[in-house]
Amino acid sequence: MAVGEVTAPMGGKVIDIKVKPGDTVNEGDEVVIIEAMKMELPIVANESGTVKEVKCNVGDAVEADAVLLVLE
Amino acid sequence: MRPYFQNMAPIGKPLTEKQKEANKENARQIKEVEKEIEAAIEEVKNAGLPLEVLKKRGQMSVWERIDYLVDPGTWCPLHTLYNPRSNEEGTTGVVDGLAKINGKWAVVIGFDNKVLAGAWIAGQAENQLRVTDIAKRLRVPLVWLVNCSGVKLTEQQEVYPDRRGNGTTFFRHAELEKLGIPILAGIYGTNPAGGGYQAISPTLLIAHKDANMAVGGGGIVSGMSPKGSFDEEGAEQIIEATRHFKQVPPGSVPIHYNETGFFKEVYETETGVLDALKKYMDMMPAYDPAFFRVDEPKEPKYPGEDLNYIVAFNQKRSYNFDEVLARIFDNSEHMEFRPGYGPEVYTGLAKIDGFLLGFIGNRQGFLGKDYPEYAPYPGIGGKLYRQGLIKMNEFVTLCGRDRVPIVWFQDTTGIDVGDLAEKAELLGLGQSLIYSIEQTDVPMMCVVLRKGTAAAHYIMGGPTANNHNAFTLGTPTTEIYVMHGETAAVATFARRLVKEKEAGRPLQPIIDKMNKLAQEYYEKSRPLYCARRGFVDEIVSFPNLRKYIAAFAGCVYQNPKSICPHNHMMIPRIIKG
Repeated sequence: MAVGEVTAPMGGKVIDIKVKPGDTVNEGDEVVIIEAMKMELPIVANESGTVKEVKCNVGDAVEADAVLLVLE
Repeated sequence: MRPYFQNMAPIGKPLTEKQKEANKENARQIKEVEKEIEAAIEEVKNAGLPLEVLKKRGQMSVWERIDYLVDPGTWCPLHTLYNPRSNEEGTTGVVDGLAKINGKWAVVIGFDNKVLAGAWIAGQAENQLRVTDIAKRLRVPLVWLVNCSGVKLTEQQEVYPDRRGNGTTFFRHAELEKLGIPILAGIYGTNPAGGGYQAISPTLLIAHKDANMAVGGGGIVSGMSPKGSFDEEGAEQIIEATRHFKQVPPGSVPIHYNETGFFKEVYETETGVLDALKKYMDMMPAYDPAFFRVDEPKEPKYPGEDLNYIVAFNQKRSYNFDEVLARIFDNSEHMEFRPGYGPEVYTGLAKIDGFLLGFIGNRQGFLGKDYPEYAPYPGIGGKLYRQGLIKMNEFVTLCGRDRVPIVWFQDTTGIDVGDLAEKAELLGLGQSLIYSIEQTDVPMMCVVLRKGTAAAHYIMGGPTANNHNAFTLGTPTTEIYVMHGETAAVATFARRLVKEKEAGRPLQPIIDKMNKLAQEYYEKSRPLYCARRGFVDEIVSFPNLRKYIAAFAGCVYQNPKSICPHNHMMIPRIIKG
């Protein structure tokens, strides 16, 4: 995982994106929700920053390690 | 051992305003359930006669008696909504809980004298047996407020007979006494027959001046009808006999204080009886809490109210279990046992009110790559895998060795399934945990934080661990079922769907049945249902959980039956390495 990238820890379906480009996020904030194994897993920002790019859409099936969004 | 127990590792972080804002709806949903529970509790408190009727008779209600008896702020009610046989009274007719009396913990139970003058009613025996079991497991005195009119005669078959009927309590009282656990009783009112044994079976009786107790009541003015049935002539005879029946109930103070001496003391006022109980509580065996404390009591660093924003109301949503613990533990600090192994389970030592307890609970969310190690699929918190099961077995066994009481937190969807899971011995490891609990013999309590599901609800110290689990608490997010309702609907109707499809028949009737079953599962797993049926012993709001755990800690360290010297403990050393 490159600096600034928020990735999917496991494969699943994106069911909610809680940020958009330009939003400020703090470390620990929920940014994306993925559904996997019948559970909803909040993906959190592992650092503070501004959302540069959202690289997924609601409904996308993503693989493990897929980049979901980029922070700067 | 001071270096081990003071200044443990910190756990948790403060919630940010942004996190609270994002989970505002979550907190609102939890409060909605709390309101529903509070309304049900209000109904139980209003069961039977209006309070004003008791007042006119110059009597205190059981709630007022308990309020006067226990130390302010210590009352932890249990079984408030319990009504396992759905009786028409809407209550089991007894009120119970844990409380301190003059600084010492006790299990307190009293008859609700508004409900049929404290009669034995359906479901009450189960309530009483749970209470005697708690006193036995926690080894604290049982304090009774007896005011029992005996069997509700129109439903005798529901209360009088059976292996676990109301009479079983008298054997449980004898068992407690055999174990050296005293039962103190204050008695009020008329206590005939069953009420008489409720009064005589405790260790010590303190009577109100108007109390009486007897083998049988004075109200039986005639025997069986000589004709074998009743008719108008018989009814007239009964009316005549009843009008002339002025006898004082048997077993009053002149008999049982002056003659038999069964009443150790008699008081003019109701509060006099309660003051006497307090006096005798002062004589009960209890260590000074400082003897067992490993540190000064401290509040958690983060408020309990945060839990309403942390524990996800949406049962599919994961959350950070460590943040829950951070709002339970003294000073939000702990010693985690084997943190890198079995990541789906938390095991560790922490302090509550300065007392050392072992904690076990389900972590949630993604468990990291290559876990479980025996399968190609990803592990997810709430499920139990091989390493987590081994870790719990080790920790429970070591808690037994170190005499550390255990608090379980359940939020589990069950044990991993499939051939790979079988090959990984999960079935055997699950039963091994039951064996470890049974062999360990330390008091335990359980909190069903959210889901209590499948065999995991049994093996993680749940209520089925009868000899060890003193009580189980539910929360506003509790759900208890063998499996999720939708899973059950598929398991039940999948083959039927195939059959109907192949026969060319419409699927809708089966689909309707599936939806009905899923809905029934939902309704019969909710907190209120769990409390009424006794799947949990009380529903407790999240901020109140720590109070109950502190009551548990205070009870188990008040007069433990065995002791491990702190400097002989192994778990802290194993953790430190």
